[in-house]
Amino acid sequence: MAAGRMEIRLAGSGGQGLILGTRILFRALSLSGRLAAQSQSYEPTSRGGFCHSDLVVSDGEPDYPLVTGITYLIALDQIGADRSAPLISRGALVIADADLVTEPPKGDFRLCPAPLTGRARALGSHRVANIVALGTLIGVADICPAETLERAVKLDTPKKFAELNLAAMHEGLRIADELKAVAD
Amino acid sequence: MNEMSPASFEIRDYIRLDLMPHFMCPGCGHGIAMRALLWAVHEHGIDKNDLAIVSGIGCSGRVGGYIDANTFHVTHGRPLAFATGLKLARPDLTVVVITGDGDCLAIGGNHLIHACRRNLDITCLMLNNEVYGMTGGQVSPTTSETRLTTTTPAGNVEPVFDACKLAEAAGASFIGREVTLQAPALKNLISKAIDHKGFSFVEVISDCTEIYGRKNDLGESPEMILSQKADMRPEAFGNVADQPFRPNKLSTGVLAENNRPEYGDVYRGQPAFRSAGEAK
Amino acid sequence: MGGEIQPLHGNHACALAAVAAGCRFFAGYPITPSSEVAERMSRELPAVGGVFIQMEDEIASMAAVVGASLGGVKAMTATSGPGFSLKQENIGLASMMEAPCVIIDVMRGGPSTGMPTRPAQGDIMQARWGTHGDHPAVVITPASVKEIYEETIRAFNLAEALRVPVVILYDQVIAHLLESFIIPDISEFEIVEREYAAPDDEDFLPFAPDARGVPPMVRPGDGRRIHTTGLTHAETGFPTQDPETVDRVARRLLSKIDKNRDLIDKFESLETDDAELLIVAFGISARAARRAQRILGDDGVKVGLFRPITMWPFPEDQLRAAAAGAKAVLVPEMNAGQLVREVERVLGRDIEIVSLTKIDGEPIEPPAIVARAREMLAS
Repeated sequence: MAAGRMEIRLAGSGGQGLILGTRILFRALSLSGRLAAQSQSYEPTSRGGFCHSDLVVSDGEPDYPLVTGITYLIALDQIGADRSAPLISRGALVIADADLVTEPPKGDFRLCPAPLTGRARALGSHRVANIVALGTLIGVADICPAETLERAVKLDTPKKFAELNLAAMHEGLRIADELKAVAD
Repeated sequence: MNEMSPASFEIRDYIRLDLMPHFMCPGCGHGIAMRALLWAVHEHGIDKNDLAIVSGIGCSGRVGGYIDANTFHVTHGRPLAFATGLKLARPDLTVVVITGDGDCLAIGGNHLIHACRRNLDITCLMLNNEVYGMTGGQVSPTTSETRLTTTTPAGNVEPVFDACKLAEAAGASFIGREVTLQAPALKNLISKAIDHKGFSFVEVISDCTEIYGRKNDLGESPEMILSQKADMRPEAFGNVADQPFRPNKLSTGVLAENNRPEYGDVYRGQPAFRSAGEAK
Repeated sequence: MGGEIQPLHGNHACALAAVAAGCRFFAGYPITPSSEVAERMSRELPAVGGVFIQMEDEIASMAAVVGASLGGVKAMTATSGPGFSLKQENIGLASMMEAPCVIIDVMRGGPSTGMPTRPAQGDIMQARWGTHGDHPAVVITPASVKEIYEETIRAFNLAEALRVPVVILYDQVIAHLLESFIIPDISEFEIVEREYAAPDDEDFLPFAPDARGVPPMVRPGDGRRIHTTGLTHAETGFPTQDPETVDRVARRLLSKIDKNRDLIDKFESLETDDAELLIVAFGISARAARRAQRILGDDGVKVGLFRPITMWPFPEDQLRAAAAGAKAVLVPEMNAGQLVREVERVLGRDIEIVSLTKIDGEPIEPPAIVARAREMLAS
């Protein structure tokens, strides 16, 4: 598993479930015994506009809980990618929605375009793109075991959406496998 | 009701004698209101230990301190807000708020309308003397039009607040008004107000002879009180004064009453509520 | 609950700790960024026989808290800057009536409506001097979700032990942070319960103090019918203007702080022993400073960090001790320079004190502190 301080961001627009997605990842890391802090910027409106939720995973005693240099970025749309680009660390992993991020950020980091929203829509709802993204991240980055993420998804999403969310997570893991296959 | 007959009521049993003489001006109606309240308390057989009096700032605010009970003298305009916390924390206490026209209708107006709306079991006595007496005689929301005060040197141009109509519109479940001249009637009204389960609002038409009366040439206390009564109860009073104390006729007695649910009961009746004994 | 690590929201930690500390009354008014405290209390209190009420305004909620407290129930409210301003009148009432209570102020950008959703640290002086007149003030400034939990319990303990309003001050960042937390077993904490006057003391004076300067409380219904007033009052509870008495009772109220520093004081002093530079910070700024300290430490630069956890009374002696070996002091804070004034007052002019302020609605970030520290050490 990855060790040390990690700064993970889910970025996009309001209404994309970024805060819930980060919360599920936080739960999964908690189940793995890691300490973290989740924050979000929010505006008076609940829908639309740039939105992000950050997870800073500490290495030992937690200190500054906010992002200073993103090591893992999930960008669900162009505004999420654009507004987060200046904060991406060297060597970071950037997973960008293949359809909605038409101009991905460029820099000294690993960029993985992934069909997050497209696959979510194919599963029945674009609203589970956040969970597809989590599956992809876990599959590519080895942040926590897939079973742990699965437990977290079950714990933190409503029962009536459990099946859809779990399907979304596994779709994300499949995307990760496809990305790895391309890389190999 | 107390086993003793109402006639056995002795105000000495209910006041802090060591604080006498009190500081109210000769002729002030507030003492009559206090006596009527204590008489009603006596008739109800309420243990002084279980009586809480909450008052605000102004002449009315000082009345509470003379009563031999659990007395709280709080910030200007806030006695109803304070009493809301006290009554919710201690539903076993009988909570009476003594406030004035400025305390209750001006600085405390927001608290009054929401206390009426909530309907927590508190009795609110608003002693209306039409003026800020404690601070030297400034205009209040109930000062009659054209009256002189230290801040209306040319006569008051603002309309008068009808506190009882306000309380009714805001949802108080018991509303009454009485003049100080008719002390037994006032006692009976306060008694009904205490009996009432819910928020009860009683406007007591008091008088400020020393400052307001003198400024407006309304005569000594007996004349002021008689003219108040003349204006409100002409049918029971043969001696109608030439110059009524108030330009508007005001009704007295119980003005409105209903038995809608009391706030504390409703709150504690929620399914989520567990009494301290039930909760671990 | 308990045992497992779980994400917990700062404002929820406050509410859970309050209930654990025995709080059974909450009155509040919606205001960003503190509303989650009220929302959580509205769910938690009924289940333990407590009462939550959303009052008509900020003033009323503070007055109701004082009323509930004097009724015999541990009580709390929560607000943010504009509401904190409105509450000051009745915080003064709580001081004068010696009503134990806890006030949460989640700091946002100001003055006025300012920036409701953006963090700031500009209420330090309002928390100390907000209500008029000389009054005892206990103000606590936690810096993490865990510390919000622990310090909320301590705030109730101090309020009850000293019969004072205790203010907990934290910024919007920490309020809305979810952090890893293990809900502790409440038996790990000492919980101070209220001391009531003995019923049979003939010479009883309701406001005569004990050795700590604190009078025992009287619960309505217990048989002592006392008068409690916001007017300056003698030990009898009744108003007085006798100069000698007024001086005695006013100084006694203030003495509750001075006599009980052992209970009240709390601070953190990290790596200050051989530090060339001392950083003094609180709340989220202290966490940025901690990160900066580590970054500088990795480069072999020795920097100490002093963090007041109890902000008021200010930990004067402890700061002097922490700064004893340092050549300079850096004070980062999210206001135009409030904490730095206190640091200057305590440390005087013999040491270089540099203020790093930020009032743009964004937190101070570690690189800004690192950069300023390097500048200071280079000169």
